[in-house]
Amino acid sequence: MGLSGNIMGIDDKSIYRKFGTGLALFALLAGFTGSSLGNELPWEEKVIQRHIDIADFQGQLDADRLTRLRNAGEVLFTGKFTKQDGFGRPMATQAILPTKSRYAAQSDFQRLAGPDANACSSCHNDPIVGAAGHSTANVFVSEGFTNANFDSIDPQFSNERNTNHLMGIGLVELLAREMTRDLVELRTASLHKAKRINEPVVVKLVTKGVSFGHLAANPDGTVDLSGVEGVDSDLHVRPFSHKGVFSSIRQFTVNAMNHHHGMQALERFSVRWTGETDFDEDTVETELTAGDISALVAWQATLAPPIQVVPENQRWAEMASQGQELFANIGCSECHIPALPLESTLFSDPGPLDVAGTLRVSELENGTTYDLAERSWIKTLPRNDEGHVMVPLFSDLKRHKISDAKVQVFGNELLSQRFVERDQFQTTELWGVGSTAPYGHRGNLTTLDEAIRGHGGEAGEARKRYLGLVDSERNAIIAYLKTLVIEHE
Amino acid sequence: MNSARPIFIAGFLLFASFAMAESDGVLSDIPVFQEESLTAGISHVYDGPWEYYVGGGVAAFDCNGDRFPDLALAGGANPASLFLNISKPGSRLKFSEVEDAIPERARTNVTGFYPIDINNDGLKDLVVLRVGKNYLLEAEKDCQFKIANSKYGMDGGREWTTAFSAMFEGKQSFPTLAFGNYVDRSAPGSPWGTCHDNFLFRPKGTVVPQYDEAQVLSPGYCALSIMFTDWNRSGLSDLRITNDRQYYRGGEEQLWRIMPEKPARKYRSAEGWRRVMIWGMGIAETDMDGDGFPEYALTSMGDTKLQTLDGATDDPPRPTYRDIAYEKGATAHRPYAGGEIKPSTGWHAEFSDFNNDGREDLFIAKGNVEAMQDFAEFDPDNLLLMQANGQFREVGNHSGIARSTRGRGAAVVDLNMDGMVDLVVVNRKANASLFRNIGSRKHRGKNTMGNWLGIELNQADQNRDAVGALISIKTGNKVQTRKVQIGGGHASGRLGFLHVGLGVAERASIRIKWPDGEWSHSYRVFANNFVVIKRDSPLANYWYPVQ
Repeated sequence: MGLSGNIMGIDDKSIYRKFGTGLALFALLAGFTGSSLGNELPWEEKVIQRHIDIADFQGQLDADRLTRLRNAGEVLFTGKFTKQDGFGRPMATQAILPTKSRYAAQSDFQRLAGPDANACSSCHNDPIVGAAGHSTANVFVSEGFTNANFDSIDPQFSNERNTNHLMGIGLVELLAREMTRDLVELRTASLHKAKRINEPVVVKLVTKGVSFGHLAANPDGTVDLSGVEGVDSDLHVRPFSHKGVFSSIRQFTVNAMNHHHGMQALERFSVRWTGETDFDEDTVETELTAGDISALVAWQATLAPPIQVVPENQRWAEMASQGQELFANIGCSECHIPALPLESTLFSDPGPLDVAGTLRVSELENGTTYDLAERSWIKTLPRNDEGHVMVPLFSDLKRHKISDAKVQVFGNELLSQRFVERDQFQTTELWGVGSTAPYGHRGNLTTLDEAIRGHGGEAGEARKRYLGLVDSERNAIIAYLKTLVIEHE
Repeated sequence: MNSARPIFIAGFLLFASFAMAESDGVLSDIPVFQEESLTAGISHVYDGPWEYYVGGGVAAFDCNGDRFPDLALAGGANPASLFLNISKPGSRLKFSEVEDAIPERARTNVTGFYPIDINNDGLKDLVVLRVGKNYLLEAEKDCQFKIANSKYGMDGGREWTTAFSAMFEGKQSFPTLAFGNYVDRSAPGSPWGTCHDNFLFRPKGTVVPQYDEAQVLSPGYCALSIMFTDWNRSGLSDLRITNDRQYYRGGEEQLWRIMPEKPARKYRSAEGWRRVMIWGMGIAETDMDGDGFPEYALTSMGDTKLQTLDGATDDPPRPTYRDIAYEKGATAHRPYAGGEIKPSTGWHAEFSDFNNDGREDLFIAKGNVEAMQDFAEFDPDNLLLMQANGQFREVGNHSGIARSTRGRGAAVVDLNMDGMVDLVVVNRKANASLFRNIGSRKHRGKNTMGNWLGIELNQADQNRDAVGALISIKTGNKVQTRKVQIGGGHASGRLGFLHVGLGVAERASIRIKWPDGEWSHSYRVFANNFVVIKRDSPLANYWYPVQ
């Protein structure tokens, strides 16, 4: 239910049965849903029968409008795009920047370089739609500039990636926005002070208890970034992807739509930027409007976060409790921080950090806003003394060196991704880890134990302590991690 | 189906086609400018008799150490002025005149200004072009300048000087200076066929530069713009000179071969240099096709020329140029507004990315010489936006710069440090125009056009601004280049952050070919930032316009 492309959750059967009164039903649907995607011609071989108009979803959305937008987003997330939608990118590569292919694609579907999926949910489906993926569904990420149409899994051409789950990512993006805000404020304040006192000022970059090193602000307005750790040089916390290189759900959605489906969003591929009305030359000019992307963002941003269960099995519960203590004691929680406080649950789309190529709020009269605190799942999240929602993501949203000469499990890659070296990854969020085997950035680790043993680099000491535990203690930690699950039937 | 929808769609299409017709087939963002000279506090007119029909330059450079570009404006018969930039970041433009910044003797009869750090003290000095003695002004802190002709052994001459360029040759500590001169008013038969020679000054001395020996570049053909340029990827710069055919006899455009420690000489037709005769007023350089051989825009009366190197495939390359202005849509030969069919008169030209879409556009200052009846009277400045198809499209009439002024020199520079280039134009017999870029036509304001970078280079010891450096900016498969150059334009120069538009790219890799030819490693930077790259530094520094 709700996954078959129908807007109001009415299943296909009832429409077919009531075909005689279908027009009336159709009119009801159309009148109610306005400009959202309609199932008016169910036999048509396309997912998108009518594009979303972003103008219908500006301002703060009430429950009704949010539901409509989310439902439209779900259709787009689960729909298997067809050529009529604009699936395929014969003359464009998977690159984030509109980049022409040197040669026309030999086939519409290419398992490695893409397009490699019919729907977002082709990969994001384990244990539920919007969650993670088996290794079967791994993708191969390449910049798409040179050797774009590679046909080997050799790491010289691409970085293999296991599908991340998307549960709770709205909260993650909001955390990242607040952390970025804090870091930028620290930088600005230190620059003002340096100018005032005419001396360099060193400031520690700490936000929500996470340290990102330090920065030196000079009186002339320049900054020395040599002490900055684990975040990009512009101090923008980019929380998405295994390496932490994408700013927002919106940016990632536009990227992924092109990469995996050849569906090109106007906000990046339109004639305004590329000079062409059909950049990928697949004969479809309007593939994804700004409203379509907003719908996808709304659906993803409002996904319920994973939870921690208290097992009914007594033994498991005891072990998990012991494991929770050990997790902290041996130092895992220094990076896998159990929870970060979130000041505001208001999600604005477009967000404050996107740049040209992703829709920006300055390009609209009004952006779209919805309050994640109105979702039913918010009740599962505790609040701290200041009323901030404690988001249990088990990550510091910081990048760390995780591989070294001795422990190279996570150092298989040959290509850096978007300025981040091959041995650095963002601390993986462990929420939901109990539901989303296999593990590791390419899903080649079948057990959590292997994943923990694979922690090198900055995690080397914690790894040593893990190895120094007895079997039962290690099992306790695993038992604890196994309680971090994604709720599903 | 919503029955109002078909009507709405039809109405939208009608509106869209109207908007399209209004934008004359321009598919990229059209930048809009708001003229703010008076509210900004700039009251300045370039004026004077015949000698000041030409000239009228501006230098845009920082003189008080805050990296906001300040402006030195030539006045001709009116005094020259220096305006301190007191704009707030991203806000309306504001300037404050620094009354005695320029010594009195150097304030009169000024045709143009160029900024350059001559003595390597990290402060930008000023070269003052005059009808009469030229001055080298040594900068002191806080926008004060003192005449340094004696100190630097520079005579200054008595010529009608209208053009300037500078470069650092080889390992020399101080810059080589070239001055372009116009009509020799004292020669018999003047002005017809009596153009003055031009001069090249190579520095002597190791502690303080000495410019006491001039090499004469003869014959001169009434130069109005000169530019040291590495036209053939040799690593050495030659001197391009654009000349005004109004007054020369047997003259032409010139390219002088500048060889280390040897006298300069002209390229000859036997070497491939084609004879081109224009009313040359300004030179602008860019590398349009990314092949390393620059293209040059040459303004004139009537057609603007856009020259590309035809002789590139020869080994060594021959200085044979072909005009591609027509095929690129860059002739700008006639006013685009006002209905006049008489030809335009072009002055300053400058390439820059006005809408940050990653393609360099072309600005041309326009205006009748004085009362030339065969040429357009209402002659607005041009803004030619480069499109994805490699063609320029005129948007002057849509961007708010179409005024009835007589533009002369200009500077395209980000004045309020918001990542969008602004425009200052010196006008003859009218107040200077100060245009603030307020964003795209569709959505006004910051962050409404493409992404961008501002790039400043520093080296230690000599040539601190890295004059002659090439900056290579890579985004995806696309590479753009910029050069740190002093010269060209129309009596106007600038030194500071070089602006690059990045389109939809969020980040870029920058490599520098320093003036001595050494390439740096790649600097990885994020878009929408000002970056300062110090030679040999492992990382780029970001700079923030904090006040």
